[in-house]
Amino acid sequence: MSGTTRFKEFIKENMWVFLVLFCLILINIINQLSMGETSGYFWKNVLWHLIGLVLFCLFVIFFDYRKVPLGFVWIVYFLMVLLLIVLALFKKRWLVIGALSIQPTEFLKIILLYLLSLYINKKKELKLENSETIFLLGVILLPLIFILPVDLDYAFIIGTIFFSFLLFFGFPKRLLVGLVIFSLTLFIILTPIMWNKLKPHQKGRIYGYLDPEKYYKTWGYQLSQSLIAIGSGGIKGQGLKKGWSTRLGYLPAKNTDLAFSVFAEAFGLFGTTIFLILYGYLLYWGLMISMKAKDLLGKALSLGIVLIFMWQAFFNIGGASGLLPMTSIPQPFLSYGGSITIATYLFLSILFNIAFKKVFFK
Amino acid sequence: MFDKWQRRETLDEEWKKRFLIGKILLILILGILWLRLFYLQVIKHSYYLNKAKARSVVSYVIKAPRGEILTADGVVVATNRATFQLYIDLENLVNEENTLKKLSLILREDYGSLKERFYLAKKLSFGRILLKRNLTWDEVARILVRQYYLPGVIVEVETERFYPYGESYFHLLGYVARINREEYEAFKNYGYSSEDFIGKKGIEKIYEKFLKGVNGRLEIERDAYGRLGKVVGKIYPKAGEDLILTVRHDLQMRAYELLKDKRGAIVALDPKDGALLALVSMPSIDPSKFIVGFESEEWNRYVNDPARPLLNKAIQAYPPGSTFKPITALAGLEAGIVKGPNWSVFCPGYFNFGSHTFRCWEKKGHGSVGLTKAIALSCDVYFYTIGSRIDIDFLAKVARKFGLGEPTGLGFPDEKTGLVPDSAWKQKKFKSSWYQGETINIAIGQGYLLTTPLQMARAYMVFANGGNLYKAYVVREIRSKEGKILFKESPTLEKRVPIHRDYYNWILEGLRKVVEEGTGKAARVPGIIVWGKTGTAQVVSLKKKTKTTEHHAWFVSFAGNSTPEIVSAVLVEHGGSGGAVAAPIAGELYRTFYKIPSSQKEIKILEERIEEVPQVYEAPEERPNVGNNTF
Repeated sequence: MSGTTRFKEFIKENMWVFLVLFCLILINIINQLSMGETSGYFWKNVLWHLIGLVLFCLFVIFFDYRKVPLGFVWIVYFLMVLLLIVLALFKKRWLVIGALSIQPTEFLKIILLYLLSLYINKKKELKLENSETIFLLGVILLPLIFILPVDLDYAFIIGTIFFSFLLFFGFPKRLLVGLVIFSLTLFIILTPIMWNKLKPHQKGRIYGYLDPEKYYKTWGYQLSQSLIAIGSGGIKGQGLKKGWSTRLGYLPAKNTDLAFSVFAEAFGLFGTTIFLILYGYLLYWGLMISMKAKDLLGKALSLGIVLIFMWQAFFNIGGASGLLPMTSIPQPFLSYGGSITIATYLFLSILFNIAFKKVFFK
Repeated sequence: MFDKWQRRETLDEEWKKRFLIGKILLILILGILWLRLFYLQVIKHSYYLNKAKARSVVSYVIKAPRGEILTADGVVVATNRATFQLYIDLENLVNEENTLKKLSLILREDYGSLKERFYLAKKLSFGRILLKRNLTWDEVARILVRQYYLPGVIVEVETERFYPYGESYFHLLGYVARINREEYEAFKNYGYSSEDFIGKKGIEKIYEKFLKGVNGRLEIERDAYGRLGKVVGKIYPKAGEDLILTVRHDLQMRAYELLKDKRGAIVALDPKDGALLALVSMPSIDPSKFIVGFESEEWNRYVNDPARPLLNKAIQAYPPGSTFKPITALAGLEAGIVKGPNWSVFCPGYFNFGSHTFRCWEKKGHGSVGLTKAIALSCDVYFYTIGSRIDIDFLAKVARKFGLGEPTGLGFPDEKTGLVPDSAWKQKKFKSSWYQGETINIAIGQGYLLTTPLQMARAYMVFANGGNLYKAYVVREIRSKEGKILFKESPTLEKRVPIHRDYYNWILEGLRKVVEEGTGKAARVPGIIVWGKTGTAQVVSLKKKTKTTEHHAWFVSFAGNSTPEIVSAVLVEHGGSGGAVAAPIAGELYRTFYKIPSSQKEIKILEERIEEVPQVYEAPEERPNVGNNTF
């Protein structure tokens, strides 16, 4: 089968997901447009999407996910850990190079995913030994230790993502039970001690989460405003650029963390439902890819990507709607951000690459 | 690559379970999120929408211009004028200190005093704070160009009540003042805002619901920094309705001039239908003071002033004195005590009843006195004689037929009903029976008897029009701003007072003689006929009399060419004798009414003092002391 016919077939087979992807990108662009005034963000966002799309195409066509050597990933992993150590020393979240500021945590997810997937790929059955599990958990925790002081939320979320990822590959049951009991005990013992050690702003975030209306002017401000924005959207939504919360500057971090609230205000439950369906379809398609993938590496990678997207949406939307404590995590296809956009496209390109390359196996 | 696995099928089989778990997890998580969004966006939608609105939209009241008040001859006596007011809205104020500092620079005022004023006003107000009234154009411009940097500072055009004739209409129109907290709580559901003015007295109070109008509303977006932006909603205010009074402006102004520097009241009515032509009470206050606000010292002065400037004396109760005598005369005729115009009494200057001697004001005595002469000269002995024979309950019944002891229908809430005593009243009040000696006092308008000047004018209206007692009224028409007549008052005949033709003619003859040759000569006006009766009501017993407790001077009268067209009551508190003080005032008033040039530049007290004070047995301060009367 020639390259072009294979490509055509690939497009035809996955027409729906291309359509969904197109819609999601469109939603992102419209959502950034609806923020008004800050038009700088709008064009930068479009630019990031263009760069991302180019990378996406290149990776899908010319890259082969199976050709990445484990040794190379280890080297990149340690370089990343080094970078995180340096950033932690300077108490910085962002790596600033000239006009660019990169959030390394976005790319840490790709590295960790590849590393774990490659390691699992070597296994003969879907069962992890105790020692292996502890080793892998260590691999996950090592970079997180250095993220912890600068970005507690993200460290916790990445931990959640990869811990749940490992659960899919035969996590030893006794170790799991032990870990759960251990962490619960630790939590119960440490909570009272840690509570007094927390910084005021960290305590405040918990207060704000528990009772946003009481702390309306202080800790609960962000959540209160987000709830008002989402709630006032109603079923139909306030319309593009019409919502008070967005237009009158009441929503903080509307371009990034609370981009979902902007969307929910403008398009209401109608819009948010469509977004969740599109997003859900994309993830479901990812799961199908993992089902169809011919090798364990492909299965692991695609499952990991689905988990990453899923948890990210859960923490972002859950935070904005007051279900979970507010975290500073961007929402793919809604938030503005160079790192998140590029990382999203990279994940997608791996996913599509797996889908594209399945014909290799005969 | 798959050599590691025995069969690829094993992997696929294993993975199917993983796929299922993944699918469930995905649906679960997206499902939870969707349910949460459904809860927020559908179930709690209106709650959050209201919160969003409360946060993002400020709404301001556009005050409705108050209705105007015009006299019958078309003179505007209460109107509005636009002023610029500087308000501070605490809800939007971002930095109090900083804003006040900026304002002190803009207004070129001392920061300290501005701050003091701000805190004083803050304590008193319960809405926005009115920091400065009556801004100049210059100040308005200086604030408006900087308004974007002064969140919470509002310059507003407001209509303020304006009374062009100040004091002269005060007791008639009343006044408006800012709504106070209790009134606001009571009326906020009737469209009142916390900054509204509300009628507090007189016509402004009685006709509040017509004059008020309906406030409008302005809704403006406010951003997160407290700055105001787009107008999102506007409801235009509806102006209040105009009142057209029955009052004649020239008459009112003349009445005011005539009473200036005196204490007392003038009431003039149209005898044809009870319409109020003039109402003045002195001393008075400029009603605009209630809008600007009083200094506390100034306010105390008004409150403690013995001349009681806050009291509308036209509707306060006084002993009517001799002005009551025509009613006594009618009662005497109807009771058959007075047997005709020629039935006479000999007046030696005193009248003995039991152990007590009642004195006539004319110590020399009037000699033989018939009905006409008795009224014309106000002979006390003649009326003492009637009083000594008449039943108090009958006299009270006749007095009440003339509307005494009852509200006049004008509707002022501070109106007194006066008192027409009878035996039942005394039994109830003092648990003792009535003495005939007390009737003798009532017969000359003293004792327990109390009437208001308005009541007296109305009672004489019955004499003037031949027996019709109309309700007094002051608003002829209520008109909308578009000129539509919403309400037109029609005169109400309260009751018909049947008076025997002969009695009527005899009494009227007496009243005419009062002015022609009797005690009320000062009220004479060339070219027209004036009927009237003087009265000098004793306030304290003669022994205790000093300058400040001088008798109240009364003159109640009516005038016309052949049919009376105006009836008036003039009361000068502690003025002295009615014939000397009150009668010339009535005469001057009639000259104005008939556009006859005034006879004197000033109303001088007549040279020949007509002494007319009856010597009443023990009539104590202001209200007669009734406890220990012994006859």
